[in-house]
Amino acid sequence: MDIVFDQAEATFDRRVVLKPLSLRLTERRIGIIGLNGSGKSTFARLINGLLLPSAGRVVTNGHDTATHAAQARAAVGYIFQNPASQIVLPLVREDIALGLQSRRLAKADADRAVAGALERVGIAHLLERRAHELSGGEVQLAALAAVLATSPDIVIMDEPTNQLDLRNRNLIEQTIHALDENVIVVSHDLALVSGFPRVLLFHEGTLAHDGPAEETIDRYLKLAA
Amino acid sequence: MIPDAKGDSPIHRVPPGAKLLALFALSVLLFTLTSPVALSWLSGAIVAATLLCCRAALVQWLKAWPLLLTIAALGIWTVFARGPEAATIVLLRLGSLSLFATVVTVTTSVGQFIDTITRIAHPLERLGIANARDIGLAIGLVIRFVPEIRARYRNVVDAHRARGLKLRPSTIIVPMVISTILCADEIANAIDARNIRGTPSKRN
Repeated sequence: MDIVFDQAEATFDRRVVLKPLSLRLTERRIGIIGLNGSGKSTFARLINGLLLPSAGRVVTNGHDTATHAAQARAAVGYIFQNPASQIVLPLVREDIALGLQSRRLAKADADRAVAGALERVGIAHLLERRAHELSGGEVQLAALAAVLATSPDIVIMDEPTNQLDLRNRNLIEQTIHALDENVIVVSHDLALVSGFPRVLLFHEGTLAHDGPAEETIDRYLKLAA
Repeated sequence: MIPDAKGDSPIHRVPPGAKLLALFALSVLLFTLTSPVALSWLSGAIVAATLLCCRAALVQWLKAWPLLLTIAALGIWTVFARGPEAATIVLLRLGSLSLFATVVTVTTSVGQFIDTITRIAHPLERLGIANARDIGLAIGLVIRFVPEIRARYRNVVDAHRARGLKLRPSTIIVPMVISTILCADEIANAIDARNIRGTPSKRN
């Protein structure tokens, strides 16, 4: 993973939501924390080119998100705060296969990729289930499977444990730790990012702290007090 | 009428393109026939075939009460405007067509719909008129969001009840439109994030 922010700034309706920022991310596990409206999700959306910087540039794995959006997105799998909203088709199998269609795989290969992705996150039994019948944890895992099926180098998860019960929260945590891919987690769940080598703290649209988890969380707790 | 496609009836195994073609042919036939007797026979055959091959479709059709209510209202209006025979013809035509359409949607998955419509739309892409994949995806999403909009309606009604508010069209339609637009925006973001269409990003 190699993500470079070069004086990247984001504005929304002429309001600056992320002030010019330069940094490089290469660690396999990165946490992003901060109060509501601090610019965390904006930062994450800039990485996969879902949002383009209003100034400066973002380069993900060598692809400028403004000029090579498709390549940047192919390198990054993104799971939204509400993963149910990113499940486009009703059946789990169909939805995961939809993300593979642009690769024009043979049906047997696509089926194998779908089954493999579900197996990786431990929900192979949900293959033929309807997405709206799944529990919160299962929806989160189904969305993760859909992302993993496309073989991204980086997986971004925005509030992955939001509104989950303790069992599902722990399940998501274990799944994240077991992933081979590089993972960026945006979260209010401090325990989830506590073991990460690098955690970024955002505050009022600026990067307030950048360091190991313990140090950054300590800073965040003081900031939020 | 959200596609189920989990069953294993003979109709489930018919290729989606053939089912859509049959639906088109049936609609032409129904609007060509003008005799109530001939229409009754045809409608009876459709109901019998549905009962034999796909009872789930009949159940779904009966559950689609807003549609049935609209057809009934049209029938009543036709009785007064053009007489009972014309009303019978309207009821038989629309009833049979909506039942057969339900059979098609219940026995075809959204993914199959998208694939089939994308294939059908390919000539338009070759002519440079439209993107076939976008047409397939758009129609698939319309089908997929029918239950979503129904669920939103229930949420709005429940919210009214919880707050002791009277149900009024204006207070139902506005929140439904807003939440549907927000949902559409989320889905568009998800389609972008998953690189399903390879569209350009947003620069705010």
